[in-house]
Amino acid sequence: MDRLLLLTQAISDLDEEKVFQILDELIAENPSDEEVQEIVAACQRGMIIVGELFDSDDYYVADLIFAGELMSKAVEVLKPIICSRKKDTIGTIVLGTVKGDLHDIGKNIFKGMAETEGFEVHDLGIDVEPDVFVAKVKQIEPQIVAMSAVLTIALNSMKNTVDALKKAGLREKVKIIIGGNPVTEDSCKRIGADAFTTIAGEGVDICKKWIVNSIA
Amino acid sequence: MTDVKALAQERQQMFVNVYRGKIPTRIPINSILSLEACIEYAGANQAEVLWDMTKAEPIFEKVNTDFPADTPAGGTRRYPSFYQILGSRPFVMSSEGVMQHPNVQGMEPEDYDDFIAAPYDTMIEKIYPRLYTELDTDPNTKALILAKAMRAHGDEFALLAQIGARMRAKFGFASIPSSATTAPFDFLADFLRSFTGICSDIRRYPDKVIAACEALTPILIKKGKLPVPSKIGVTSIPLHMGPYLRTKDFEKFYWPSLKKQVEVLTEMGINVSLFVEHDFMRFLDHLSELPENTILRFEYGDPKLVSEKLGSKFIISGFYPVMLLHTGTKEQCIDKAKELIDILAPGGRYIFNTDKGAMDMHGNITENLKAVIEFVREYGKYDNPDEPYDLSKDPMPPAEKIVAEIEANLNSKYYQTWEQYRANHPELEGRPQEVIAKKIKKLEDDMFNFIINLGS
Repeated sequence: MDRLLLLTQAISDLDEEKVFQILDELIAENPSDEEVQEIVAACQRGMIIVGELFDSDDYYVADLIFAGELMSKAVEVLKPIICSRKKDTIGTIVLGTVKGDLHDIGKNIFKGMAETEGFEVHDLGIDVEPDVFVAKVKQIEPQIVAMSAVLTIALNSMKNTVDALKKAGLREKVKIIIGGNPVTEDSCKRIGADAFTTIAGEGVDICKKWIVNSIA
Repeated sequence: MTDVKALAQERQQMFVNVYRGKIPTRIPINSILSLEACIEYAGANQAEVLWDMTKAEPIFEKVNTDFPADTPAGGTRRYPSFYQILGSRPFVMSSEGVMQHPNVQGMEPEDYDDFIAAPYDTMIEKIYPRLYTELDTDPNTKALILAKAMRAHGDEFALLAQIGARMRAKFGFASIPSSATTAPFDFLADFLRSFTGICSDIRRYPDKVIAACEALTPILIKKGKLPVPSKIGVTSIPLHMGPYLRTKDFEKFYWPSLKKQVEVLTEMGINVSLFVEHDFMRFLDHLSELPENTILRFEYGDPKLVSEKLGSKFIISGFYPVMLLHTGTKEQCIDKAKELIDILAPGGRYIFNTDKGAMDMHGNITENLKAVIEFVREYGKYDNPDEPYDLSKDPMPPAEKIVAEIEANLNSKYYQTWEQYRANHPELEGRPQEVIAKKIKKLEDDMFNFIINLGS
């Protein structure tokens, strides 16, 4: 069987030993840029299967987190080779857990997935004041602002952050997505965001669509 | 008898009946307001009250008056005072004054072997200096920091107990000893290996994770002991990681130690109260293996299915969506209460509670909660209550004996049973042993509870 297929399979099985055995073999053969891209793509296909297994309730959050760990370790191993050539970023995201909330697991999963999709992500961390979002958006001029929260009380902070962006005249220059357990369509409307999600992967898909549509 | 005393007696009997699986006179109503929500309701400053709990007393008075549930409102074990002194990483106050738990990791994978051999000592020696930055220092400074922190911890809990006693006297709450502990896997995951770390461990070192949970189980049983010997009492265990695991991982890593813990605590005469956080519908068959009259407070899921599968053996609680109190109309809120009562209350094994505590007072919760409490108090009257259960006929449970056995096997150089202490202190010969033993044991247990509280 093709080793790339085996790699995809090993990632989707969350078989760490096998993943790095195959990766070590492939790297030892001094792959070309094109081949490295194929290796990354094989890993990503594995991650897509992980997502499907999550949707079908074969995997749960603990498995997703371990898959994220595997993927970031794989990227770590491939980085020295990837870094030797310039990779185009597809878009820029300013990301943070809003003021009043210190939870960051969902935010970090989103970040990892967005980065593997080619986004440049500026992570402001947790308990982020609206002004800090505003300052970063001014400085970086991202296409997307992504806000995360777990606590219901942080939904107000999301609204305050959107209001602060409006006040600074930046609201129309960015798309805003909110994510986390408490967000709903209602709260999305009230907050004035463009999209909401409770699933990190879905959030990344929304961001990709925005980028594609803005280019088209 | 005064009205308050009569009310206290009525409530006491209600809870005793429910905890023994008997039908009470009416459905007990749990207070659903968190300390944060109480502070907001009273218009006080979050950080100021948490730092000075004497300010909480008038707040509790107001809340207990305006929202007359059958248990007192508020209460916390997360005080900024000792977390501040210790330089806490696992619990910190956010900019809004709310205590929260970021994802932290106090234990490295290399620590598993030491931890399995001597969990209590490894926490003290290796793990806590990573979680509590002020303990990462020379031994003298560390001793003084710990002394200050434990003093703060003791003071806060003593103050809360005093306020609690005054609230009981004033509002006629039941007097049932209570304690709290943590499920072994959650204890290992939450502060020690971190949420993300444990997800890798169960794949990389499955045997060590199991052994670590087993090593923690007796410690976390001891932590759940009631503060005073009693024939009745409740020990709360909030469940956390279970629903994030695949069923076969749940069965392998999460369930065995938790089940054992609940069984032993039940043997100690305790009604264990599990906060079945998130969605446990995959695990109803597992829950059904637990001892009779375990209290199960559900967050999400299907109340009908739970009633069918578990309602005749366990005391069911929760399910009521707290968000509805915030966003719904009075009518919707009362309809929901009626719907849940009709499903869960028949048979008597039911306590009214929300799916989780209210963290704040946004929306219509003030009016809705008042209406719902009033409704449940009336609608929740049973027309077929059982005789008042008579506790005096029950034997005293063997709690002391069970815990003494755990203590004798702790394998710790920091924890000494009275017998171990006595053997090393011949100068105590001829002194009043019983009085001294009581004091020395209490100090050791206060320290133990303080240390374990810092780990979850």
